[in-house]
Amino acid sequence: MPPWLPQFITSMIVILVVLHLSLGAAAYLILLERKVAAWVQDRVGPNRVGPMGLLQPIADGLKLFMKEDFMPRGVDRMLFILAPAFSAIPALIGFVIIPWAGLFEFEEGKTVAIMGANVNIGVVYLVATASLGVYGVGLGGWASNNKYSFLGGLRATAQMISYEIPMGLALLCVILTAGTLLPMEIVRQQLDGQWFLIQQPLAAALFFICMLAEANRAPFDLSEAEQELVGGWHTEYSSMKWALFFLGEYVHVFVGAAFFTTLFLGGWSINPVTGWDLPVLGTWWMILIQFSIVLAKVFVVVAFGMMIRWTLPRFRFDQLMKLAWEGMIPLGLLMLLMTSFFVFIGWTQWLWAGSLGLLAIVWILLPALPQQSNPNRRVGMLGSRFSPPTDDAPSHIDA
Amino acid sequence: MMHARMHAMTSLPLVLASGLTDYLPIAILVIMAIIFAVVNIIGAGILGPKVHGEAKEQSYESGMKPVGTARKRFNIRFYILAMTFLVFDIEIIFLYPWAVDFTQLEPQSEESMIFFGRILFFILTSIVAYIYAWKKGVFRWD
Repeated sequence: MPPWLPQFITSMIVILVVLHLSLGAAAYLILLERKVAAWVQDRVGPNRVGPMGLLQPIADGLKLFMKEDFMPRGVDRMLFILAPAFSAIPALIGFVIIPWAGLFEFEEGKTVAIMGANVNIGVVYLVATASLGVYGVGLGGWASNNKYSFLGGLRATAQMISYEIPMGLALLCVILTAGTLLPMEIVRQQLDGQWFLIQQPLAAALFFICMLAEANRAPFDLSEAEQELVGGWHTEYSSMKWALFFLGEYVHVFVGAAFFTTLFLGGWSINPVTGWDLPVLGTWWMILIQFSIVLAKVFVVVAFGMMIRWTLPRFRFDQLMKLAWEGMIPLGLLMLLMTSFFVFIGWTQWLWAGSLGLLAIVWILLPALPQQSNPNRRVGMLGSRFSPPTDDAPSHIDA
Repeated sequence: MMHARMHAMTSLPLVLASGLTDYLPIAILVIMAIIFAVVNIIGAGILGPKVHGEAKEQSYESGMKPVGTARKRFNIRFYILAMTFLVFDIEIIFLYPWAVDFTQLEPQSEESMIFFGRILFFILTSIVAYIYAWKKGVFRWD
């Protein structure tokens, strides 16, 4: 038996299980999303198909399969057909580097990792595949020959590439803390020590925000803002092509939450601080416990994102770009400098204090920094509710 | 701290990634994903009804007759943004291998200082680029 064969067999089992799991999760996350939306808005939500609406995703899938696959005149046929595939494929291949459980000892001293692929580029692979998703959105908008789609595609492209930079910077902070690119090793260090959520709280916050933005989730769903752009880049899509876009989005959410769990919530770690924790090595029942803990954490992260989606209002496009380029990228660069300085000094256990101190310094210095003119200033119109005419100032322009 | 970390890395029998066979599952998964996407797109095209019509084939423009083509010029800011993105993203890609090597060094040693100083200069160049773009108004969208 060649030495790579056990890992290969394990990888294929994990891939088959998690691929179906993520497809099923995508279908049921849509149901959960509708339920959460309903509960937030004091409605009941889908409850007709099956008990509590649990068969709704299956009915939706069948319906989408039977719908007309329509292509309007003037589209770029090749790109129009390929764009949904470009959106779904990168989302589906990303999860392989997530450690779903620890090492399985199948023979004395021989272990296999419960991951899709134990590759040495590790987390860089997931970042690379996740950023490929921008092609589906951009090409879909371009190919549709529809002004709404075109604008939505442009917005989505600009947003996804903008938020990739702070995401990379936050990830770099984690890599500097862990000193490795291997996800299994990142998890193990969080088992031995603290979660990176505690060591790098600021990086975790940046990463979570970028995760929402990369998946085009509210409050960052500018590219499909219904009130402005009808459906955004998927206005002209119907049937299974449309479904592939949404499948890609929800699988992206699922994988993103799993990645967040790996990087910041310690995988299957149950102790956030230093101390006793679940082992890395284990037999099949330990693997099952670890797997369920990871899935539970993924569910919590996804549910948190959904609560954000139905609680916060949507950004305006200039605010979105301002947040990325004038807020998160400078902050990410400062965090990178702070982390590398702490690693240089050797104070790696004080990184949490560094993060909080950095936040305090930025908070204090912020008013002193040069500001750009505020596009949000209210232009007073005579007699409007913003500048009612008074006796002191009967009329004025520009409040 | 650093020594303890390196010790922990070697103490457990971790199957380290070693060769191209590690990438074989990824290749198989990519093929599976492509098959999944193609089957879905073609299957829906075969199964669904087909109805054509003059008004139906117009692209949607809120019920109005579409005016002109959608592939027009777009705002130059999107283009400049993409160029700025390239600068920063490529910088980050260079920083990944640096980050891994930097953490393996002894803290406050001379070698570590060289690593740190060089990357400080590298980040400084991109901060200069950032300030230039900021002054040029690349990040202004109003």
